[in-house]
Amino acid sequence: MKRALFLLSLAFILAAVAHAETGVKKKRALPHEYGRVILNNSSEKAGLAPVVFDHWLHRAKYTCRLCHVDVGFAMKAGTTGIKASDNFNGYYCGACHNGKTIADGNTVFKACAKTPGNEEKNRCQRCHSLGRNVKPQYDFQAYTGKFPKERFGNGIDWEKAERDKLIQPSNYLEGVSFKRQPLTAQKDFALNPKLEGMPDIIFSHKKHTVWNGCELCHPEIFVGVKKGATRYTMIDLFDGKYCGACHITVAFPMLDCQRCHSKQVQ
Amino acid sequence: MKNRRTFAFLLAVAIVIFSGGRWMENPVHAGLDPVFAQEDWKNEFEDVCSKTQDAMTLGSAELNDLIARCDKLKPLIERLDETQKKVYLKRLGMCRDLYVFVKESKEKK
Repeated sequence: MKRALFLLSLAFILAAVAHAETGVKKKRALPHEYGRVILNNSSEKAGLAPVVFDHWLHRAKYTCRLCHVDVGFAMKAGTTGIKASDNFNGYYCGACHNGKTIADGNTVFKACAKTPGNEEKNRCQRCHSLGRNVKPQYDFQAYTGKFPKERFGNGIDWEKAERDKLIQPSNYLEGVSFKRQPLTAQKDFALNPKLEGMPDIIFSHKKHTVWNGCELCHPEIFVGVKKGATRYTMIDLFDGKYCGACHITVAFPMLDCQRCHSKQVQ
Repeated sequence: MKNRRTFAFLLAVAIVIFSGGRWMENPVHAGLDPVFAQEDWKNEFEDVCSKTQDAMTLGSAELNDLIARCDKLKPLIERLDETQKKVYLKRLGMCRDLYVFVKESKEKK
């Protein structure tokens, strides 16, 4: 009886551990996976693997504003409604992936084809690669080896990488972007957290507008006009609202509390 | 009399040629179209939406003018092909919404 009870308890514990391994707990993305977006509105319907888009390489070369304002990509995966014909006609991915644009001294491959033959199918797999053993052209470790490191996300301090001129993201695409005057930066300001003793958040407009401009955040992400009128909660942020629109997906994740809660407590 | 008829006929032909036949394609809108040729809407779009960087320095009158110009552009963009319509409506929406946002923020200060 005691032995049966022991074996039953052991079986229960093992089952609980096995469930914990494969349950609902989210696995933290590896550095090269952080910022990965899977696009599958119509890929599988067309007989292709879903598209795997890694933000890390593109953000090293282009500002967020260029893609999400000028080119027109939506901020939420799957909501842009990209079709192969859009890419083929020079829009969305096809704005750069047109077989003509030069990046890093190389010609950027053309996205999509009207009637893909065997040669084009190999090119299709460069993007339609989920579940396929496709070796990317750029290796994350090799590309970011000399970049300054940080704890979370891609493990790269992208802001410092730009300050140190290791990356110089372009904010202009010929035929797509407008020639603009340099942005007059707004002042930094402090946000007081609800939790007493928690350091104030110092929000830097300058840091954000360098990569985002104004229209990326206002009013789609930050609707409130008057400072203090909108109450931000960490639950909202971790749900992908406000700061969480970027800071759980592509920009440094909110696990790194001190990056925002940076004003010293008096 | 005959000369007058001939003159009137030639005048009508000249009007048709110089209007590009647009009144025949869309008689309802021919006389009401804004003065935008095929690619002029792009120049107007660029002129309107290139000012987003300066939005905070613009006055209410200028912002109102930009918003009105965005509203005028919208029906033109809606007549484009599916892809262009999708791309440019989104871009126009973003720049218009920013101007409205900045205008409201100035009014509520």
